[in-house]
Order: sequence, then structure tokens, then C-alpha cells
Amino acid sequence: MRVGFFVTCLVDTMRPGIGFASLKLLEAAGCEVVVPEHQTCCGQPGYNSGDHKSAEAMALKFLAEFETFDYVVLPSGSCAGMIRVHYPDLFKHDPELSARFAALGQRTYELTDFLHRIARLEKVPGTFQGTVTYHDSCSGLRELDVYRQPRALLATMPGVKLQEMVESTTCCGFGGTFSLKYGELSTRMADNKCQHITATGADAIVGGDLGCLLNIEGRLRRTGDHTTRVLHVAEVLSGEEK
Amino acid sequence: MSAREAILGRIRNARNGKDRHEQAAGATEAIAAHLARHPRGPAPAMPGDLPARFRERALKLSSDVLETADRKEVPTLLARYLNERKLPLAGVCWPSLIGLPWSSAGLDMQSRPARDSDLVGVTGAFCAIAETGTLMLLSGAETPATTSLLPETHVAVIDPRRIVATMEDAWDLLRQECRQPPRAVNFVSGPSRTADIEQTVTLGAHGPYRVLLILAPAR
Amino acid sequence: MQNNAIDFKRQVTVKLADIKLQGALSRLQSRFVEGRSAVISEIADLPETRNAAAAIRDRVLNDLEHWLLQFEQQATARGAIVHWAETDEDVNRIVAGIARQHGVRTAAKSKSMVSEECELNDALEQAGVEVMETDLGEYILQLAHEAPSHIVAPVVHKNKEEVADLFAEKHQLPRKTGIAELCREAREILRPAFLNADMGISGANFLVAETGSALIVTNEGNGRLVTTLPRVHVAITGIEKVVPTLEDVSTLVRLLPRSATGQSITNYVSVLTGTRGDADHDGPEHFHIVLLDNGRSKLLGSDMQEMLRCIRCGACMNHCPVYQNIGGHAYGWVYPGPMGSILTPLLSGLEKSPDLPNASTFCGACAAVCPVKIPLPDLLRKLREQQMERGMKSRQETFMLKAWAWLALRPNLYALATRIAVRVMRLLGGKERLLHRLPGAHGWSDGRDFPAPAGRTFRELYRQGGRK
Ligand code: SF4
Repeated sequence: MRVGFFVTCLVDTMRPGIGFASLKLLEAAGCEVVVPEHQTCCGQPGYNSGDHKSAEAMALKFLAEFETFDYVVLPSGSCAGMIRVHYPDLFKHDPELSARFAALGQRTYELTDFLHRIARLEKVPGTFQGTVTYHDSCSGLRELDVYRQPRALLATMPGVKLQEMVESTTCCGFGGTFSLKYGELSTRMADNKCQHITATGADAIVGGDLGCLLNIEGRLRRTGDHTTRVLHVAEVLSGEEK
Repeated sequence: MSAREAILGRIRNARNGKDRHEQAAGATEAIAAHLARHPRGPAPAMPGDLPARFRERALKLSSDVLETADRKEVPTLLARYLNERKLPLAGVCWPSLIGLPWSSAGLDMQSRPARDSDLVGVTGAFCAIAETGTLMLLSGAETPATTSLLPETHVAVIDPRRIVATMEDAWDLLRQECRQPPRAVNFVSGPSRTADIEQTVTLGAHGPYRVLLILAPAR
Repeated sequence: MQNNAIDFKRQVTVKLADIKLQGALSRLQSRFVEGRSAVISEIADLPETRNAAAAIRDRVLNDLEHWLLQFEQQATARGAIVHWAETDEDVNRIVAGIARQHGVRTAAKSKSMVSEECELNDALEQAGVEVMETDLGEYILQLAHEAPSHIVAPVVHKNKEEVADLFAEKHQLPRKTGIAELCREAREILRPAFLNADMGISGANFLVAETGSALIVTNEGNGRLVTTLPRVHVAITGIEKVVPTLEDVSTLVRLLPRSATGQSITNYVSVLTGTRGDADHDGPEHFHIVLLDNGRSKLLGSDMQEMLRCIRCGACMNHCPVYQNIGGHAYGWVYPGPMGSILTPLLSGLEKSPDLPNASTFCGACAAVCPVKIPLPDLLRKLREQQMERGMKSRQETFMLKAWAWLALRPNLYALATRIAVRVMRLLGGKERLLHRLPGAHGWSDGRDFPAPAGRTFRELYRQGGRK
């Protein structure tokens, strides 16, 4: 199957290793992966800030670049949710376009969701020794029902011990521009999350959305925790963490 | 223009499009049809023994439950219940229940609506609901609402054959047996309670501190 | 009630630092969130039941005019008098008028959020009517001269020590410390208020069009007392609260207490229809129902109509990570949490509440639990769009958004700009690979470091055909 890979703007710029880790996993699952060269951002920052028009323009750009693939895969539940759930909504006024977006959305998956349910990956390339705890990012969880999938994949790794934190499904406080506009509130929410993480004693906090991970890592480091590793699930599964 | 007309006018204008009169006619018909059918929503299946389910749910809501096959035994059960809790052996009851042998059980029972000073109030129930362990009480001249409300102890004598599965079933029974709902239909589920202070449940807020349900078939 | 939402940001700082409040909020979360999850599963087919509940509300909202008329006709036929109020002030005027008409000197009131919109108590006091709140939480707030901070648990922001101090001071009785003793003391103080009140005031959770009834759910029994003992009963509620039939209201009652407090059913569900009969020993002689618009009707037919489905269960705020950290007062008006962040701008002015639509991460926890499936984050987003369209966003934010979009639509320029940006950030990160300060984004860096990027973008590395 031909998979179009959308790296997301955050992974592209802030942690490209997650992109390569994802590619490795998709190839291990037997996919033919294509990375369209001109991809940029899914348009979520503008969309969530009330800039409907820009979001429409970016959605159309995305459609042009990705419509031909069997599947589209992203290492982010948040951006995958934007494409699956919100793109069709953006074009409600245009039934034909809306239908094309809905069809594209149906073929668009968050990485672990795709690997587990569609590609049915049973043996992952990575090895990892240690205890991890998993943070469930909001959009992946509530828009795409991503909860079992990363856990099932991690469970195939003999060295990984999953130690669940309390309230793993509570928001970490990132929320895109929210984290800048309401920094104090956002920091408190991150702090609550960090306390739950620390309480597990895990070696690494793992998640599927880089935004949340930057937020969590930023708070952990600021409060003096320089040892707990903060990893994207693709990095752990592929063995590309460093 | 009155507030009523202004509000209704705004609501009317909010629905753009279709011709007003056509729309109004259609709406009235649709409303009449819905009212005539009064369809039920999804309700839990309630297989098995309704009185057993009622009892289990009522206990969960902190009601006390006693049972007897003989309605004449009700006063004795109540006297024992009150004695065990060192509660006064006097109270008021609905007129339909005054015929039970209260005084031979040592109870001073009066047939009248409750006043503030009454400590025990004995009522029947129109029916009871197994889904939630709830009583359905109808207000009326013979079934005063205060009896289940002012006294600290509320006792309800229930015919187990009048236990229905759901609130929807209770409404059906009401439709069958009454021309229209009485002034007050009160669904009662256990002693009054509050959790306003620190979300800690305390029984006996402004209504009864305890509710005793006695299942006893009416003849 | 005056809208103070303009002060939101400052209030956030205050509330985050309030240790007592933080303790109280953690209790709310554990009791209500866990409580709901324990009983919501009793509903055999939850998704279907929520769909049905949303459909019931939509049926009414899509034809509110006729359902209201049906309700009014039935209620009037049973002897109730229906009043229509455009604004909060109209409600106050109408209720004061009813009090005058019936020679009312004292009123006992059970909980009504709509009356909080109106600040009815103050208006009645001015009209010479002594009003006693009888819901324990509302009574405490009346003594303390405070507003509710939650629509179901109004006094959640106070702990029992504060209540004990308040009672000791106001009741002039020895200070109690146990919660049960405090409740008993309030019961004894309030009992005469019920018995002597000329008028009972309540809200109404639902209005049943089929029968012209007002439905009230309560736990304490005060709702039953104020609607049974006084000779006049006034029920105040919003025009959107109509529900077609007794079956429809049963579906909603199956969801409301479970979503609200984690109870399978509230202690009392009272369905009140008309006035007392000739032979009755109890019940009001006069039953007035006041229907308030206050901005609701203008939401009909708009893309915000779904908000009117709300049955005021409070689940959205109980599950909201923002509410859980700041409580209800920070929101500045009657309704807090996610539903308040939508209702306050809609009913009380978007320009007065610029922060409320934005103070959400769109985590979606609210929509996931809302019993009538209101897409709360979508409605918040629509308010943000309105802010954008009406030029209510800061110039800096608008510029940033437009600049980002402009760039993202020009892949080559975007590639260049991002390549430069990540190199600069990599440099600034230094050996530690952490940025301690982000110019222009101190909201982030006041409390958090920023992990420095690798210094190369994925796309450039990929194009070079390799890894790092
Ligand atoms: S919006 Fe939904 S969850 Fe929130 S109070 Fe209203 S009905 Fe309850």
C-alpha cells in the first residue's frame, strides 16, 4: 500500500528524528512511503484561533498533495484529527469538496492507530529497556479513539514495562496557542501532569503528540528534572530514540 | 408589543425559509402527532424480579426495606422498627391506611395531613419504580404531600404488585388510571440529603432523615 | 448579574494561588468525576440514550414557538399563570409584582440559576420582600454575600471550617465542626422560613409541554417544601427548557443526575401541574411560571443553537481541566466552565468576555461527557471566529496567524524560514539544549523551558536522502 507521510510542522522543525522513526516503522510494516515535498502545516493553529479562511486554504493545499494515496499517516493525533474530523466540516457549504475531504479523512490515520489496526504490525524494529508511562493526548484520544493502539504496540516490546499514571487522559495544558496566551494556567496543568508522571517513577514519559511532549519536557526541565526522558512513541517503537 | 409577542416573534423569525402558514400548520400537526404517540426513548431492560430489583436499589439509596405477606402485620413491623431506633411510637398516616391495627401494635396513629411537629408519616404509593428504587406519590385530598415531607421518618406501604420497571411505565399507569396528573407527582428516592458542604453526603437535609419501605400486598 | 469576565486573566492568577480553593476543587473532581463514571454505566445504551436526549432537545428548539404555546396552553388550563420576560430586569419586575398582588412579605427560595442571572433576591428585598435561600449551599452564599461558583454545587469553593465560622457568626450559636451538625443547624434555622413563607420561589429543570408541568429535581427536599407549603409558588426558568412529553422528560431525568452528581436519581423529582384542588390540604393557591428570554431566542437558527440543548448538569465543568484549576468565580458571570464560556459571551456580550472562548485547550473532555451532546469545543471555536471577524483579536495575534498561513502556503519560502529558525533556536539552546527564555512568548517560558530543536528540519534532511 502507498502511504503518504505528513510529518507535521512541529516534528519537521522541532524533532525531525520522530519523522525518520515513523518512516522506519511504516517501512517495517511493509508500506511504500512517499513524503510529498511541499507539505507544510495542516492549518490547525489558525483554525483553532478563529482563522477559518487560512485553514480552508491549507486544507485545499493538503488535498492537492495527498488525495492520491491509499493512506495518509501522521505522527500526531492532533493533526490527524484536524484532517479526519475538521477538514470536512470546513467545507460544509460545498458538498462536493466536503465529500472529497471526508473520503480523504477516512484514509487518514494517526501513526499508532495505522500501525496497529490497519498495517497490523506485530513486531516492531526497536528495543527499549525500562519503565515507561503513557500520556494520552486529547485529540487522538477523543477524536480518533487512540488509546489501546500505542499500548498494544509497546506491549510487543519485551524490555518495556508500562506503568500507568493517574489521569493519563487529562489534558497536559498545551492546547497550541493556549500555552502562550494563558501561560500560567497552562503551566499549572503541565505541573499536575508532571506530578503524575513523576509519581510513576518511570524512566520515560511517552506520547504520540510532540506539542504535549514539548510542554511536558519544558515543565520537567524547568522544575529540575533532567533525567526523565520524554519520548515520542515512534522513537521508542523504532529504536530511534536518542 | 408585549414581551410574549416579542419573544415568540423572534423565535418565529429565526426559522427562515418556508412559508409561515404552511410551516405553522405542519408544526401543529407534528406536535399533535408526537404528543399522541409520546414515544419512549431507550430504557434499560429489566429482566427478572421487579420487587427484588426495587429492594436492592432502594437499599443502595439508604432506604430501609421490610416485607410481609400480610398487610395487617405492617403496624407490628413498624413498631419494632421505631423501637429499635428509639423513635416515638406516634405519627400520622394517609386516610386509606388508618384501618390497619395500629393501636394493637402500640402505635398512636392519626389520619390527617402532617404538621411540623409530627415525627412519623405513613403513606402508601401510587406505584414504585424498580429501575431506581423510587416511590411515585400523587398529591390529593386523600394523599397529602406533607405526610412524606415534614416528619423525620417517612414510612411507605407498597403493594409489590404495583412495582413497575421504569419511570415510563409509571407514566403509563398514571395515564391509565387518572384523567390528568395531580397537582404534584413526587418521585421519592430515599431520605433527603445534601452534599453541599465538601461534597460529603449527609442524610436528612430539609426532608425526612429516614425512609422505611414496607412491601405488603394489598388485598 | 454584572459580567466581570473582563477580569478573567487576573482572576486566574488569584485563583491558582488560593490554596483553600485548590483543596476544595480537588474534592469536587474526585467526587463528581468518579461519581459519574460509577453510575453512568447503569444506562444500558449510553450512546443511544445521549442521541435520544439530544434529539428531544432539538425537536423542541427547532420549533420552540409551538412547543412554548402548547406548554402555555396546558399550564393555563390547569390554573397556572405564565409570564414572559424579555430581560433579567423584567423577571424582577414581574416577580415583585406577583409578590405585591398577593400581599407577600416573606419568600422561601430553592435553587435557581436563572434567578442568579437576574439577581432576584436584591430586587425583592428592595420591594420589601424578605427572601430566604433554602438550598444549603445557596443559604451559605446568602449569608456570606457571595455568588455561586458551580451550577450544581454552588458552594464548592468553601470548606467546612469556613462554613462553621460563618454559621457561628451569623447564627450566634456555639461553633459546630461536623458537617452533619452544620446541616442540622441549618435545617433548624430554615424550618420556620418554610412554614411561614407567603411565597415559594423555585427554578424549573424542565417544562413539560404535554401536561403544562414544571419539573424540579432536588436532593434536600427544600424544592418540595417551597412548592408545597407557601400559598404562592413562582417558578422561574428559561424559555428553552420545554420538553415535549413525560416520556421525553424521563429520558432526560435518566441522564441529568447521573451526569451531575453521580446519582442514579435525585432524591426528589417533582412534577408540578397547576394549583391545589378544592379538597387538597396542601399546595399553592397561585402558581406563576416566569419564562425568561434574556438573549436565548436570538441563538435559535444560528450556528450556536446547540448551546440551548443544555440541561445544566455541570458535567462539562466537573471534567474541565481549566475549571478544575481555577473554580467558577474566575469566569465572572453566572455560568462557569465550558458551558459558561459559551453562554456568558452569548447572553452577556462577547466584548465583555474576550478571554472566555480562548481559555480552553479544546481537550474535548466536556463534549465527551455532555449528556445532550453539545459540541462545546466547536462552539468555542465559532466564538473565536466571531472575534476574528469582528476584529476583536489583538493586532499582534492576527498578524501572527496571517503571517503563518501566508508562509505555510509558500512551501519554498517556508522551507527557508524554518531552516533559519531551527538553526537559530539550536544555537540559543546551547549545551543544555534548552531555551530558558522565548522572546515574545514569555507565557511559555515564564514556567517552562523550551527543548531546543535539532537544528535541521525533517524535510531538508529527507531531501538530502538521509538521517541526521
Ligand atoms: S453543556 Fe452539557 S455537560 Fe455542560 S451543563 Fe450543559 S448539559 Fe451539562
